[in-house]
Amino acid sequence: MTTGEELRRYERQMIIEGFGREGQERLKQTRVVVAGAGGLGSVVSIYLTVAGVGKIRLIDHDRVELGNLNRQILYGNRDIGRRKVDSAKEKLESLNPEVKVEIVSEAILEDNAFELVDDCDLIVDAMDNFTTRYILNKVAINRDIPFFHGAVRGFEGRATTIIPGQTACLKCLYTRAPQPEPAPVVGVAPAVIGSIQATEVVKYIVGIGDLLTNRLLIYDGLSLEFMEMKLKRRPDCEECQHLTEGRE
Amino acid sequence: MSVKVRLHPCLRNFSDGRQEVEAVGQTIGECIDDLESKFPGIRQQLCDDGCKLLTKYDIHINGRSSYPEELAKLVKAGDELTILTFVAEG
Repeated sequence: MTTGEELRRYERQMIIEGFGREGQERLKQTRVVVAGAGGLGSVVSIYLTVAGVGKIRLIDHDRVELGNLNRQILYGNRDIGRRKVDSAKEKLESLNPEVKVEIVSEAILEDNAFELVDDCDLIVDAMDNFTTRYILNKVAINRDIPFFHGAVRGFEGRATTIIPGQTACLKCLYTRAPQPEPAPVVGVAPAVIGSIQATEVVKYIVGIGDLLTNRLLIYDGLSLEFMEMKLKRRPDCEECQHLTEGRE
Repeated sequence: MSVKVRLHPCLRNFSDGRQEVEAVGQTIGECIDDLESKFPGIRQQLCDDGCKLLTKYDIHINGRSSYPEELAKLVKAGDELTILTFVAEG
């Protein structure tokens, strides 16, 4: 039940048409995994925290480095050398003590991925590599958990919302992974894409608006253009083809 | 047959800034050849010396990835090709 303090904290969003106390209560009852506490994870976790999502499980095994601070806005100079999840938990709880922040300082691997998303309703992809993204995509497909993809490079970004069995999955979209390489990123790129991912999560939970499903949003900050590509499921997708029958 | 080609921003210096262009061909490779005739230099940007698509690019036909053997993939009139680069950072 939403308390009096919560009513005051969230009043400006609850007056949005279609949101209301019911939407706020749904947010409070939802458990979200944010996979990655870097540029995207910073923005997503901050906005989900201030929106009043009930529980956030933040997963990242890195420590804060000076080179993170141009884009990872959960951290400051005093956090250098600390585990990212420890600094993040402090920051998020200071923003909104009503939200339960669980932290996991482990790498996401084939062996532990299913366990890491146990009891969670949604997964946000805030990773920095396709190997882990594919693992999370597989978990989402097999556990029937909505999966909110985002990625950035330079001034660019991409986002799509994946509903297992209903939309193209990450393996439908990207049949092969790019070679890992240190990539350029300016902080405003994850700011845009992370905000879009958080927007999708809030809309999905509250049940308003149109989701970015079967659509890849392609953002180019240099030309300040948004482009969309309609997506289709691949009938031979190794990850989600078994969900095809009767789900579309 | 004519297809619509949507270009990643990094390719638009070849197309006078246009995001969408037309190309003619029966395969993606032929469409790239046609683009080359209109926008010299674009094939070298997309393909290696052996005429294989560079791994940093991904070409989608009507929203589906054309990987593997991208350049041999058949297209039909009215198809929409989208040429993207990979974006992987977080």
